[in-house]
Parts: sequence; C-alpha cells; structure tokens
Amino acid sequence: MRRYSALALLRAGLRGGRGWQPLWQRQPLRDGYDVVVVGAGGHGLATAFHLARDHRVGRIGVLEKRLVGYGNVGRNTTIVRSNYLLPENHYFYEDALRRWETLARDLNYNVMYSPRAVIDLALSDDDLPALARRGNAMRLAGIDAELLDLAALERFVPQLDARRPRRFPITGALVQRRGGTVRHDAVVWGYARAASALGVEIIEDCEVTGVRAAAGAATGVETSRGYVRAGRIVFATAGHTAAVGAMLGVALPLETHLLQALVTEPVKPLLDTVLVYVAPGHGEIYISQSDRGGLVMGGHLDGYPSSTQEGQWFRLEDVAQTAVELLPRIGGLRVLRQWAGVNDMTMDGSPLIDRLRYDNVFLNAGWCYGGFKAIPASGAACARLVATGTAPDLIQAYRLSRFASGHVLDEPGYGPYPARQ
Amino acid sequence: MTTPASHEMPGAMKRLSCPFCGPRELHEFRFHKTLPSADAPASVFQRVYERSAERTLSIEHWQHLGGCRGWLLVRRDPSSGAVLAVRLLDGAAP
Repeated sequence: MRRYSALALLRAGLRGGRGWQPLWQRQPLRDGYDVVVVGAGGHGLATAFHLARDHRVGRIGVLEKRLVGYGNVGRNTTIVRSNYLLPENHYFYEDALRRWETLARDLNYNVMYSPRAVIDLALSDDDLPALARRGNAMRLAGIDAELLDLAALERFVPQLDARRPRRFPITGALVQRRGGTVRHDAVVWGYARAASALGVEIIEDCEVTGVRAAAGAATGVETSRGYVRAGRIVFATAGHTAAVGAMLGVALPLETHLLQALVTEPVKPLLDTVLVYVAPGHGEIYISQSDRGGLVMGGHLDGYPSSTQEGQWFRLEDVAQTAVELLPRIGGLRVLRQWAGVNDMTMDGSPLIDRLRYDNVFLNAGWCYGGFKAIPASGAACARLVATGTAPDLIQAYRLSRFASGHVLDEPGYGPYPARQ
Repeated sequence: MTTPASHEMPGAMKRLSCPFCGPRELHEFRFHKTLPSADAPASVFQRVYERSAERTLSIEHWQHLGGCRGWLLVRRDPSSGAVLAVRLLDGAAP
C-alpha cells in the first residue's frame, strides 16, 4: 500500500496525478480461508482489519453479497457519540469514540471525523433531570457531558432560536462535545484499503447461502459461487441476521425493521452541530449538515418488519415536518434524496457479539439503528473474540445468553418491542 | 455485479384491511410484535424474546389503534411488503 501523505500528494501532482493505486485489490475466490468474514460493511471490514493487524489467524477472506459498503454503512446519518446511560453501553461506545478520534491516522485515510458536538434537546421540565441523570452517569465513567440551560444553549446554537414558541418548548440540553460526524463512505473505504494492504482478501458479488458443518463444528460456507472451506466464520450481516439464524437453525431475539433518512439540497453553512429532538408520540429527528452542505436527517423506524429497503411516505413526511418544527428556516429547502436501511432490532436495543451455535461461528450483529458509531470498537473486540476464543470485557454484556438469564441491556426501557415509540 | 433494482420490488405496503372497518391507511394501525415460529417450543423466554426468522413470512400482532382498536393477526411477506391475510385475534392458533 502506498501511504498517503503531503509528500505523496506532491509527488503524484508533479506526475500529473498519475500513479495512484486502487484502494483495495480485487481477488479471485479461493477454495478456503482460515477465517471467512461474511459482509464487507463497516463491522465486517473492521473485524477483518483487526484480525489481520492485531492477531495471527492466517488467511482472511471477506465475502460480500453485493458491493463493498453497499449496505447500512453507506445508509446511516454518520453520527458518532457515546452518550449512553447504561455502563455496559457507554464504556463500549466510548471505546469506539476514542478510536474514531485517531482512526484517520490508524488507517492512513481521512475519515473526516468532525467533533461538532451532539446535542440532545430537552422538551419539558421532566426531560432535563432525565438528561442530567444520563450526563452524570457518563461523567462518572470519565466521558464528557455537559448539561446546558436555555441561556447556555442559545449561546451554543444561536441558529436554533431556542426560545421560539414551539408545541414542545425547548428547556435545555445535554451536550457531548466530542460527539459529531464521520464520513461513512470514507470509513468503509479506509478499512477496506488498510485490510487489503495487510493481506485480507475482499470478494464482492459472492453471497453466502448456507453453512456446512461436521462433527459439531462448521467446516465452510455455501456461496452463490460454490463451496468455500472456512476454519472460522464471522457473520457481520447487519439487516440480514435473521437469515443467518435460519441457516444455522437458531431463532434469534430480533426483528428486522426499516429506518429512513433524507438529505436536502446543499446550502451554505447553517448548522455546525448535531441536533437530536425527540418528542415521544409526536416526532423524532436527528439532523446535521454534511460537508457538502446538505442537511442530513432521520427519524424513527417505519414501524413494522420489512427488508425491502423501501421506506414509507408517512415516515418521510413526519421527519420533514419535525425538522421544520425544529428549524423553521429550512422549510423552503427541497429534499434531494431519500433512502432506507434494513435494521436488525434486538429485543433490548443492544447488539449481539457472540458465538452462534458452533464454537467456530461468530456473530457480530443486531446493531439496531446504532451500528455505525460502534464500528471501530466492534471490529477490535470481535477480532479478539474470534482470534482468542475469549470475549474481551467490553463485549461480555452483548452475549446472546443475556435474554434467557434476564441480563438485558434495555437502554430506552421499552421492553421487547423495538418498534415502539 | 448484482445491483439492486427498486422497480423489481412489488412496493411498500400502503393499506391494511381491518375485518371490521375495511381497507384503511397504514398509519391508522400500530404494529405490536412478530410471533416466534409456530414449531418453536414455548418457554417463557422464547415467547417473550424470540421472533420469527423466516424471510418471506412474518406472523404479527397489530392493533387498529386509530380505528376500532381491534387486535389483528396479520400474515405478511416482509421481503416484498405483500399482506397475505388479516383476521381478528382470537384464541385460535396463528
């Protein structure tokens, strides 16, 4: 891999821009790999990258049904944060956030981490103590969090016009300054490039359709291009984990739901933070402005199981309406694009990183609508589980057995109804 | 390369047909949960947390919240959005 640097840029510039290499190598499919990672999205590529960099596991193949980064890693709203209440969650996501801070250097690829602050708005007098409780839990864990009253919020985000009369008046906010956005395509390209440079082989257009096993261990995977032997198998399959469960004959505690997002036409700098506005039973929105100027926003799930990657009009309307309620000045903007991602919603809203049925099959899935921000931590921790056979402390709580034993991590407190709002 | 073609999708579901009220806009209804596969043994854990894993068939509880408030048993294909059957939720097996 040719490293990117100011000198490399200058050298290529003097040669008329020639001499750049493809980010990753295209490889033919082999008969077998020591580790097969299923899914070339954020979690799959990060897991492969850490397996190759931090552990000795032999030859690693990443099999992807479509294209690198075609799934949810390119469909999210690019927000990263670690402002969780439960210790199991905030320590894990804080590990991810620390890795985001140095990821561009670690991958030698500019992922455009922008610590522009994530602001959770309080919409009633009762919201503020709830946010204060979450902020205090974070601060006890050494994570940055600040509670802002209305005057401080007005200074922080003057363009919000916080005192403007609204159906749900804003009363304050919880701010995590190190939270922000990361360019999601750059993340997947950076991981693919770094993994490929370490010898990881990435095979596109190769769909895994089944698992073959003998004597209590998996021996390989059936794919759309034939059988592939595998010493160990990691499924990082985002919204298709129910299909993985079906392949292995395991019922999983998850439902597959759709989440939509949209982006407006680009405008000059208007919003330099990430705003999160949740009015239960009314509307929900998280919004930020991309580097190109478009306002990127999303809301709640469509509300019922679907794997169509096609969203419902009523949700789009609801997101747009809530956005205009929050920031009336964007009401005249046109929507440029809308899309949907397929989310595996677990019954407690927390992910599943564990063995699945066989000792040499691993699952890195169930990320609900929060998978993007977890990528660097999930890759490192999952790689360690796969390589050593022991789950690091950081992901002990994400075992599948937590449901049967009653140790669920229900951050929002909804119970086993992930589509509820 | 396999590229997706959204026009191949039969389209998102737009309405549900309530046995009392007839065809109504989807936003009148609230989805509650999917049921575990029919052949699964029903321990408390499985009944509470496990969900159906079939790609083309989902058996679900819905409520016509913005209408007659009746509870419905809906069979759908989540891979296409097609509604296969709707009936009132009674004591009978799904």
